[in-house]
Amino acid sequence: MLSRLRTIAHSLFHRRRFEEGLAEEVRFHLEQYTQDLIAAGHSPEDAARRARIEFGNVDNVILDSREARGLRAFDTLQQRLRYAARILRKQPAFTATALATLAITVGANLAIFAIVDAVLFRPLPFREPDRLVAIYNTYPRAGVPDDGASVTNYYERRHAIDGLTSVSLYRDGAAIVGDVGATEREYVTRVTPEFFETLGVPLALGHGFTDADTEYGATYTAGRVAIVTTAYWRDHLGGGPPVLGRAIRMDGERIEVIGVLPPGFQFLSSTRGIYLPLASGSDSRGPNARHAGSSSHMIARVRSGLTIAQVQAQVDAHNSVVERTDPQAAMIADAGFRSLVIPLRDVEVAAVRPTLLLLEAGVLGLLLIGGVNVTNLFLIRASSRSREFALRQALGADRRHVIAEVLTESLLLTLTGGLLGLAAGAAGIRLLRALGASKLPLAGSLAFDGRAALAAIVASLVLGLAIAVPIAWCSLRSHSAGTLGAESRTTTAGRAAQRLRHAFLVVEVALAFVLLVGSGLLALSLQRVTEVDPGFRPAQVLSGQIALPWTSYQDGASRLTFMTRLLDALSAQPGVVASGISTNVPLSGNAIRAAVTVEGYVAAPGVPVRAVFPYAVRGDYFRAMGIPLVEGRLLSRDDDRLGNTAVVVDEDFARFYFPKGGAVGHHVQMGSRPAPGDPIHTIVGVVGAVKQAGLSSDEALGAVYYTYDTRFDNNVFVVARTTGDADALGTAMQRLTRQLDPELPVNNLSMMSSRVDRSLLTRRSPAVLAMIFASIAVLLTAVGMYGVLGYSVALRRREIGLRMALGARPGQIRSAFVGMAARLLISGGLVGLAGAWMTGHAMQALLYRVAPVSWPILAAATVVLGVVCLAACLLPSHRASRIPPSEALAES
Amino acid sequence: MGKSAELLPGTLDLLILKAVSLKPLHGYGVLLRIHQISGQALDIPQGSLYPALYRLETQGLIASEWGESENNRRAKFYTLTAPGKKRLREETDDWNRLAAAMAAALRATADEV
Repeated sequence: MLSRLRTIAHSLFHRRRFEEGLAEEVRFHLEQYTQDLIAAGHSPEDAARRARIEFGNVDNVILDSREARGLRAFDTLQQRLRYAARILRKQPAFTATALATLAITVGANLAIFAIVDAVLFRPLPFREPDRLVAIYNTYPRAGVPDDGASVTNYYERRHAIDGLTSVSLYRDGAAIVGDVGATEREYVTRVTPEFFETLGVPLALGHGFTDADTEYGATYTAGRVAIVTTAYWRDHLGGGPPVLGRAIRMDGERIEVIGVLPPGFQFLSSTRGIYLPLASGSDSRGPNARHAGSSSHMIARVRSGLTIAQVQAQVDAHNSVVERTDPQAAMIADAGFRSLVIPLRDVEVAAVRPTLLLLEAGVLGLLLIGGVNVTNLFLIRASSRSREFALRQALGADRRHVIAEVLTESLLLTLTGGLLGLAAGAAGIRLLRALGASKLPLAGSLAFDGRAALAAIVASLVLGLAIAVPIAWCSLRSHSAGTLGAESRTTTAGRAAQRLRHAFLVVEVALAFVLLVGSGLLALSLQRVTEVDPGFRPAQVLSGQIALPWTSYQDGASRLTFMTRLLDALSAQPGVVASGISTNVPLSGNAIRAAVTVEGYVAAPGVPVRAVFPYAVRGDYFRAMGIPLVEGRLLSRDDDRLGNTAVVVDEDFARFYFPKGGAVGHHVQMGSRPAPGDPIHTIVGVVGAVKQAGLSSDEALGAVYYTYDTRFDNNVFVVARTTGDADALGTAMQRLTRQLDPELPVNNLSMMSSRVDRSLLTRRSPAVLAMIFASIAVLLTAVGMYGVLGYSVALRRREIGLRMALGARPGQIRSAFVGMAARLLISGGLVGLAGAWMTGHAMQALLYRVAPVSWPILAAATVVLGVVCLAACLLPSHRASRIPPSEALAES
Repeated sequence: MGKSAELLPGTLDLLILKAVSLKPLHGYGVLLRIHQISGQALDIPQGSLYPALYRLETQGLIASEWGESENNRRAKFYTLTAPGKKRLREETDDWNRLAAAMAAALRATADEV
């Protein structure tokens, strides 16, 4: 087979040499034969004549030989292509419209497919990625859907579950890296020794971590070793050898590089370059820390041949064994505790999957509209050529020939359109990046690549074939109807073709309607989310993150000193109204939840414990953030003193625990099981609730604001409200911090209003895209409407002329056509209504405070589609009303 | 060219393969060789020779190369390829089986029925 293709290809590429060789061979044959005949006694003239007679027609022999080589098909194809190209060039309006339609729809599909492919389909770049799972603790009835996995979970499961061949834990964090004065906050990931083995990624250089590296020694510092990615080595360590044994200065300590990951290694969406051992002490490995929710995550490799369900059963069984001795077992069970085993990719992309699938559906709808539109344009053209086709068939043209011609034309057009679509798709991917697509999980490598290009070419081919079917059918029908006259409404073929065109238009209208309604729902939902009160006043508030390294800020006092001096310096800045620090800010992307014990509160039987959003604040955090006081008093700078146990709670908290009011004065304790001697906090005030997890999050879990002086977290946000220039304040914040400690960078500097904006990205971008799709869909439908109606008018010129001659008024003719268009619109609208109903329900999970059937949206979609489409049919209708009566006499 | 038998359909390819299996030949030579080895009994229509040669070459059963003819003219010589050899063997077997079967069938007498 291959050698055959090679022979054909060779002949094609060396076509001239092939033809010359063939001619020479035949000439040689004739000459030899002639000579032999002369030798046998014939006269030269006689010999030459006989030779030619016996050889037969030279041209036929050459033709047959060429065909035997398989070249004729190519010749025909070339001819057909040239013919099709000529025909298409002769109708620039049709060709341009069809090509633009294809380019836009294929391009849009390509761009969306590239994302969907990268995020949902492409296998993870690890060995046998299907066997990788994430295992996380969930307490759904306590309001904590995903609490990761604890260090205890890891040490208990490590070799205890038969269905898991390798179990690992990882925890994302940050460290201050670099020399004094040039430090940078670097994101790092701490992992257990078998982490890379679980993933199936061998190190490129060096060796992995050992169990000894994860043991907290007497000094509370684990093995000072690191594994870096090739990218980190290249960008930060000079890229040259020797890399092993090199030291990185991290949090003021020397960390030795003991291993390098292979080029291109990336753990899911993480771009972290430094991996450290995840160290722990015996206290955090014991049963008491099992549900400590230490913001670490578990991945594991499933033994080959086992299903997820089987492994889930093993994990459940293991959990029930270890929980048996847990004093909190009843409470944990009430919270709906389970450890879920979920394929690694699914966990990573769960949040974006519905949105992406919705967009993919929308863009496929767009492709369908484009396809239908081009088909309709083709049908119109085919009808206008039906006389030609009928004539050719009457003269004996082969059916196959007609089909081949139609196919060549449609394929040439869709392939050209597809190639243009490739360019449009490349531009589309850039647009998607601008809309934040590369921030989607696993979309870091989002690119225009061969896979996407192949998908586009295949789609164009399929489209070309799909378009050819109805057109070929119509072209052949025109013959069977036996009409050599023009298509008129009275012939069966004409009627069938018209029905088909109208049916396609109805489909188009319906799809456009569904897309309009869908994008309208997304837009309305976005609108509703932006109207949500975040619970604070985000304008003119700057926030930045500072992580105090453990090594230089080991005790609470040193941290408090730093915080006090920083806040003092900040409040001295011109324009600063209030400043404070907090361990978390709303919409930071981090929605840590923690348990709390409320004195005197006894949950009704079966009512699970409830987690809250915990904060530890210092300075004038509430005034800086603009969180309103509801009852009692705020925590302010006067509360900044060691051991101050005052707390402020939010309305949601007060409403849940003190439904009759009077929260102030009550006592709370951290954790679900406070030990004797743990501080008892007194509620001094109630503040408004903020949206911590997202504007559209209606969880209302409640929040407790402790004083920083009782928590001393080393990772804080600094917040300042200014009346002046926020950019200048950002620079000042960095400068002041460096003045206090040259080692400390401020990271994640952002206006609170930008945080609000960014939190809307996952809603805004899909809504914008859907709007773009819907606009294109409406435009395409209008083009389709114009084409179909314009063709109807052209078809009925004689009839209209006759009616005009018989006294019809232009207005009557016009309204007849507008009426036809309106009927098509209404039919399409009704089908679309059913589609919109289904779409609304399918996308309900993505909507915020918007019903799946929204009458205002339906009405708006109807008006938009109606106005645009009727406008599109005004021109042809008007043209119809201007047809002079003399047309009645014109030759058909 | 004397009395010649009609060529059975499908036998031309087999004859060409046989002819070039003995020695590389140019197109005209193939014609002469078939005439010669069939004892002047088989005469193939000259016009159908070249399409058949090109078809066999496309199928990879024979290969061609330009060379010099006996009288020092440039000519294209055909040789049998390895797949061609295999095909020749198979088709020869098939043909012999068929010929034997045909002969046996045509020998049959009333007694044997």
